[in-house]
Amino acid sequence: MLKKIGLEKTDELVTALMGKGEVFAPVADGTVVNFQKIQNPNNVTLDFYNTVQSPKSVFFPQTDDMVRYRLIHDGVETEEISLDFEPQIILGVRPCDVRSFDVMDRLFSGGGIVDPYWENRRKNTTIIGYAFDSVDPADFYATFGVGAADPTGSDIFMVKGKDILFLKGITERGEALLGSIDPLEDASAKDDQYFEKRLAEASALTTRILGTDGAAQKLESVFEDPYWVGAAAPCLNCGVCTFVCPTCHCFDIQDETLFGGGARRRIWDSCMFTDFTLHTSGHNPRMNKSQRLRQRINHKFSYYVTNFDVISCVGCGRCIRSCPVHIDIVAVVEGAMALP
Amino acid sequence: MKRIEARLKEEAKRLLENGEVEVVLAYGRGYDGRHPMPYAAKTVTDTERIVFNEYCTHNMARYLMDYPPGTRIAIAVKGCDSRAVVVLLQEEKIERGDLVILGIPAAGMKDPKTDQPIDASTTCDTPNPVLYDILLGGEVTASETSSYEVLSELEGMDGKDRWAFWSGELSRCIRCYACRKACPMCYCDPCFVDQAEPHWADKSPSLESNLMFHLTRFYHLAGRCVDCGECSRACPMEIPLYLFHKKVAKECEEMFDQAAGMSVDDKPVMVDFRVEDADEILL
Repeated sequence: MLKKIGLEKTDELVTALMGKGEVFAPVADGTVVNFQKIQNPNNVTLDFYNTVQSPKSVFFPQTDDMVRYRLIHDGVETEEISLDFEPQIILGVRPCDVRSFDVMDRLFSGGGIVDPYWENRRKNTTIIGYAFDSVDPADFYATFGVGAADPTGSDIFMVKGKDILFLKGITERGEALLGSIDPLEDASAKDDQYFEKRLAEASALTTRILGTDGAAQKLESVFEDPYWVGAAAPCLNCGVCTFVCPTCHCFDIQDETLFGGGARRRIWDSCMFTDFTLHTSGHNPRMNKSQRLRQRINHKFSYYVTNFDVISCVGCGRCIRSCPVHIDIVAVVEGAMALP
Repeated sequence: MKRIEARLKEEAKRLLENGEVEVVLAYGRGYDGRHPMPYAAKTVTDTERIVFNEYCTHNMARYLMDYPPGTRIAIAVKGCDSRAVVVLLQEEKIERGDLVILGIPAAGMKDPKTDQPIDASTTCDTPNPVLYDILLGGEVTASETSSYEVLSELEGMDGKDRWAFWSGELSRCIRCYACRKACPMCYCDPCFVDQAEPHWADKSPSLESNLMFHLTRFYHLAGRCVDCGECSRACPMEIPLYLFHKKVAKECEEMFDQAAGMSVDDKPVMVDFRVEDADEILL
């Protein structure tokens, strides 16, 4: 079914969604737009290109408590963390980011060890995708067969018209939610045509394409190449790329205690950090930044392919846009692929 | 800027050809004209990739310590970058004899994210290099505006409002450490915040641990920050870190009559002691 609502009534849509579960949606804080849990529906913005950080934090927060504890005189009192999460709705996810959920599912819930933190949130979440209406030069999601108005993976898909927002049900879950949101109006046959036209226009937008054929094997074969030293020369070894990335998923587990109480927490970590691989002995198998940059590229374009049969990159362009020194992952991979 | 780019290429080529230096730290092409990258040219052919335009904001002094002592390095510096080189010399992290400093008088630089001009109204009021061997263009006129003027709004706030401002800004930090890594003065290895013993700050971002990291970093940079603004441009969350650094710089300058990195002969204010020093700092 196709529904519509005036853009100026976005807050009414959000309010109605908040009656169905916790809503995560883009919020502008100064010039930075990011997904946040919504308390005030007026804070939601649908006027953005893409969020600075990916929406992965909805399923995989930067900090996740695993157990809370309090030290008492003769031991430790612990409090288990419930893994029954409230129903969630993410509103305004761009098609490349929707794809990232599928890429991450393969690691967190695809078989073998299932991560309950990811899995339980994921199965309780309705995804409302949102078509792009322009292209940033950094993006390259077309590489992965993702279109600017690609509804794959969304439960509901939104397209922004001039002053109207169209919402189309894609899955059964999406249809059910769509049918229960009062402020939405039914679309007319004319609206249907307009929606299809907007969808076609957005589908015509295309990004750069990175040639990835045989990347997994090629990257393994150029592991020792001095190429990486030059490619990593500008890298500052900060963790921006990994913290904005929709598919970077490395984490650390730390006990954080204050005044005798605290929590064992899962916290995002970054392979770009010097201490990521530092051993207690003082030995560090990845001492140089070239080794660390190579690790990030190889994990995405080689090791993940070997393990899960998919490249763990969706071409969202975030790492490129946020990199303080403008390292272009496309150029880095292309450079490695071009080595003899 | 085209003229500076040509001169930069020419000098880089000459220095590498003569074997005067092993590497030239300058700027190279990025994925488009608005996103040039720090670039280390090591061969004459490499110098073809060198660019210079208004988006070449990076402070190349950040990379000097990537090379072992004794490496002969040519480095392209704008005003603030040259001040960073001076601080590193004062702190004996690099040797003057290893360097050929290519000075770039720079006016009209722009932030590639926002396209806003970078000048005394935000960061950097030193358009001309304070230390160089070769100057790649005519000196430009410095702005009349004091770079401290941007502080007036914060200074006008009472403590409560200022606390609200900074806790709001710093609570957004995601601890990616781009600020620290973009900073030419942040060279501690390991950084205090990465130490497990003692455990100075939690790894989770929270207002408390973010304050621990940023306040400590702000104070570590007292009398050392050269106001290049790279920390703030590097921040993905657009936290205006430069405002705090500038406030500390202003107080240092008022108390010790010395701005960071203006002369190799100065001693950094935090390691120098003079009988006539202001004593407000001692409470």
